Amino acid sequence: MSTYKIPVGPLHVALEEPMYFKVEVEGETVTGLDIQAGHVHRGIEYLVAKRNIHQNIVLTERICSLCSNSHPFSYCMALERIGGIIVPERVEYLRVVADEIKRIASHLFNVAITAHLVGFDTLFMQVMETREIMQDTKETIFGNRMDLGANRIGGVRYDLDGEGKAYLAAQLARMKAPLDEFRDLYETNGSFLRRTKGVGVLPRADAIRLGLVGPVARASGVDYDVRRKAPYVVYDRLDFDVQTLADGDVWSRTMIRLREVKESVRIIEQCLRDIPEGPISIDAIPEIPAGEAIAKSEAPRGELIYYLRTDGSDKPARLKWRVPSYNNWKGLQVMMAGCKVADIALIVGSIDPCISCTER
Amino acid sequence: MSFFLPVLLRNLLKGPSTEAFPFGEAITPKKLRARISFDPDSCALCRVCARICPAGAIQFEKKPDGLEFNLWHNACVFCGLCALYCESEGLHSTNDWHLSHLQSEKYDLVERATVKFQKCTKCGKQKMPAPLPLMAKLYPGLPADEIERLRAMCPQCRKAETAPAEGEPS
Ligand code: SF4
Ligand code: SF4
Repeated sequence: MSTYKIPVGPLHVALEEPMYFKVEVEGETVTGLDIQAGHVHRGIEYLVAKRNIHQNIVLTERICSLCSNSHPFSYCMALERIGGIIVPERVEYLRVVADEIKRIASHLFNVAITAHLVGFDTLFMQVMETREIMQDTKETIFGNRMDLGANRIGGVRYDLDGEGKAYLAAQLARMKAPLDEFRDLYETNGSFLRRTKGVGVLPRADAIRLGLVGPVARASGVDYDVRRKAPYVVYDRLDFDVQTLADGDVWSRTMIRLREVKESVRIIEQCLRDIPEGPISIDAIPEIPAGEAIAKSEAPRGELIYYLRTDGSDKPARLKWRVPSYNNWKGLQVMMAGCKVADIALIVGSIDPCISCTER
Repeated sequence: MSFFLPVLLRNLLKGPSTEAFPFGEAITPKKLRARISFDPDSCALCRVCARICPAGAIQFEKKPDGLEFNLWHNACVFCGLCALYCESEGLHSTNDWHLSHLQSEKYDLVERATVKFQKCTKCGKQKMPAPLPLMAKLYPGLPADEIERLRAMCPQCRKAETAPAEGEPS
């Protein structure tokens, strides 16, 4: 059989964002893959060095829409580490609430897209409708459907009073029945299982070798979650299970996200129960001395690392971040080896890639 | 199948989940961060907002009698930082998101007002305005007419006025 090279992307009907895949095929089977990035590079690492530390909270929030809270959150943690700023306890809880709400919305988006990619659009719409509960919540509590604007240096910019807490609890309660229905459906629906079970398999050894993170790694049995391994804010006080599955296929990755959504709901409910009274920010606008720091957090797609160096001025000397998608791209070469052309878009979607994060 | 039958039934009874906008109202939460409003009477011309705005949407222009405040709605990213850091209630996030306009009107979508310099009632020198919200924060508990009197003065005269007299505890 003869070998062909087919281009997928950078603009392609089945891809949500621009990335260029050079796929080698033999008949209908993929034998090789080359990935080329660079289509949405915006030079944000340069731009942050031209803006002051407060402006960068807004800029980092706009690196990516789905993990838009993880970026300013990690950035603020790095700044606070350099400045020796201790944030009030209430802030730590409110930061967890914001981050977990974003995780729910991000994971459900991918779970829905997976249904869409296997051609199950009715399910896609149902999941998106349930996700809409979180979108409305974000708009109501934070004032925006994507960019929460939750963080500031030394604090947060939103508060939950009695009414806000009750509203959030009610919204979470509304999610529970549909989430259980989706779990049953994704676990038993024949057409979904046929398209996703055993497809795009990433063995555990490869996940470790390539340094994959987040739900992608956990679906291959790698028990790694920054919230558990290196707890930040109040994650060490919250009760949640790190989800893992053994098979490493498209189905497992979808199920991991669906299960993590339920864990996030649990986490927020605990926060609502345990959150202490107190200020939501430190008093003064802080001065940040010269120094350097690293901050890590578990973004929806996995471990997000921020490195920040300051020189005592109000602009960062260097800000560098490694996003989870950067590692996860590598996994595609293993997942796609031997797969069918028709599964390419599905497998790409299953790593929940964030191109705007990777290329910034 | 068993999942979709109730869904189908519910959808038939309930109608679409999407909002009927523009034929019906779109849900707009109170806290929605949308159009920024500017109140020239509450502006102290400190220009913190222009420094903090990540989008460069706020600009001040020199005029003979004051500074002209310009906020370009089309450049604004609705982050709300300006309203957060304005100490004087000069800027507020409103939930008015109706910003669609014709291409020909794109340069009209600007919040613009000139904030005038003032004359100190004591020494007569030109001074920056001292708006009420800011003065109320600086001098908590002072009676309203006293604040009115003080805010008509320049900072130096104000300091001289409010400094404790010799021998008096401060
Ligand atoms: S609007 Fe507020 S922040 Fe901007 S110059 Fe006036 S007082 Fe200062
Ligand atoms: S909301 Fe943000 S972008 Fe808009 S004017 Fe204020 S600071 Fe600038």
